[in-house]
Amino acid sequence: MTATMEFVRASRWYGPVIALNDVTTTVGPGVTGLLGPNGAGKSTFLKLAAGQLAPSQGEVRVLGKPAWGSPELFHRVGVCPEPDAFWEGLTGLQFLMALLRLTGFDDAECKRRADHALEQVALTEARDRKIGGYSKGMRQRIKMAQSLAHDPQVLLLDEPLSGMDPVNRRRVVDLVKKLGREGRTVLVSSHILHEVEAMTRRVLLIHNGRILAEGDVREIRDLMDEHPHTVALRARDPRALARAVVGSPHVLSLTFGAEGEWVTVQTARPDEFYSSVVDAAVEAGVSEMYSPDENLESVFKYLVAR
Amino acid sequence: MSASPAPSRVTPDPSPASAPSTDGRDVTRPVTFWRAARAVFDLSLEGMVWSRRSLLMVALLGGPALLSLAFRILLTRLPPRVGAFDFYGVVVAFYYVRNALPLAALFYATALIADEVEGRTITYLLTRPIQRVSVLAGKFAAYLVTTLALALPAVVITFFLLNTIRGWSGIGAIVPELFRDMGVMILTLVVYGAFFTLMGVLLRRPVIPGLLFLFVWELLANAPGYLPRFTITAYLRSLIHHRPPDEGLAEIFAQVLPTALCLEAVGAMIVVFLAGAAWIFSQREYVLDQ
Repeated sequence: MTATMEFVRASRWYGPVIALNDVTTTVGPGVTGLLGPNGAGKSTFLKLAAGQLAPSQGEVRVLGKPAWGSPELFHRVGVCPEPDAFWEGLTGLQFLMALLRLTGFDDAECKRRADHALEQVALTEARDRKIGGYSKGMRQRIKMAQSLAHDPQVLLLDEPLSGMDPVNRRRVVDLVKKLGREGRTVLVSSHILHEVEAMTRRVLLIHNGRILAEGDVREIRDLMDEHPHTVALRARDPRALARAVVGSPHVLSLTFGAEGEWVTVQTARPDEFYSSVVDAAVEAGVSEMYSPDENLESVFKYLVAR
Repeated sequence: MSASPAPSRVTPDPSPASAPSTDGRDVTRPVTFWRAARAVFDLSLEGMVWSRRSLLMVALLGGPALLSLAFRILLTRLPPRVGAFDFYGVVVAFYYVRNALPLAALFYATALIADEVEGRTITYLLTRPIQRVSVLAGKFAAYLVTTLALALPAVVITFFLLNTIRGWSGIGAIVPELFRDMGVMILTLVVYGAFFTLMGVLLRRPVIPGLLFLFVWELLANAPGYLPRFTITAYLRSLIHHRPPDEGLAEIFAQVLPTALCLEAVGAMIVVFLAGAAWIFSQREYVLDQ
């Protein structure tokens, strides 16, 4: 295996708190999912790989160079950070152009690449609107666009599907799979098994700052079968959404949220549920969808106990 | 599914970091300092000019121009007890150099990096192939351009409004003072800007310590002996030719330091503060959401 990213006995602590503990692993070309519940150490893992943090101990190398203190790596590395943060007054196009200039391209090349990246994330029509006026899903996609506009060989994506509606979620999943097929190294973090599974079968399972296991996601899936999967959806017309999905054999239970816009569904078959919900989601105006991680947490507890 | 492997070395893929880029860029080195600093400058300038902070600074730095207009109207109706050139000296020495410009530097320069950290946009800047020092340089240049664009026109307007009350005759003789004052104002913004940039990268909440520095520590400029040499304002004050007479303790102790010493000291402070800020910024981790 040719590794584009390697962690060798890497640890990172913040004061007395150990965020990553003696991790040794490698990541090669293709899509790899970094899967773990909230607080497991996923973001620290990604920040170490992105040179945002120095390892307290051990080594983190990307493309053969130390990730910390090698800014030239970012010609070849793209980072999609998790925080929903932007220079709100810039338009989508200005945002991408500014970051491409910082990557060393001239103005004509910046424009060409920005247009291409906007097209890839289906934001061409919104390119001249200020980011401050973008929806949550559009903000996620422009963040994704900046990470891939300079055509990097390595992509580090921190919870890229968070808060996206089903249609755009599908679009981004397809894009990530395509990037992996092109031979890029794509590391995607998520606390939702189904999200990762939609993009790749190769996963690193992380919990309490340690890599618990790495390998094929289907083996985790087998462990998941006995655990119901919870999905929360925010819809313009939650009752229409409920009517559309309640008869489905994949739905175990359904509850309305207190604010009236949210519907929470429990399903034993997430794959089938996600496939079946797309049409209903469009009709009911679903704007946000996420999965709480309690069910994944229980699988981790099971794995740790094994 | 396998458990996490034991520590082992895997041959890294050697091609990417050394391979030439298909678009002609040298991907083995960061983007050149000037190019990166220029890109950061362009990105920062607009945000700085159109910020709410700038509205406050327009009032703070442009205020004397309005005051001068009122003074001009008043002086044409009353017998002059205070000369216009003296009043101009008060505006430059007490208002701009001692108070308004250091305050402008405090509010802009401490925020150069802090705003990006607080807004969580710093990640975008730190995940580009650029040296961190170029981020600081581009932002510092944007700060200087913004504050100079506000302060210099205001002092020019003030100068002419006040010194042409009795007509334009003799104005040519004092215009060199205006240029000298503008030079001191530029130095004021650079040296305080450098100091507060250093504080901004060093401290999480630099504004209160900055205010204490300006309005408590800097009072040492009026103390006897060598103490004024530990302030910034003593050097800047000494560079102004036509300062108005001091009052109180300042009248007794205020020293005028030699011009050469002032220029050397201010220059050294600028280099030390900026180098310190650059070093700290390049070493520091900006851990978000932890």
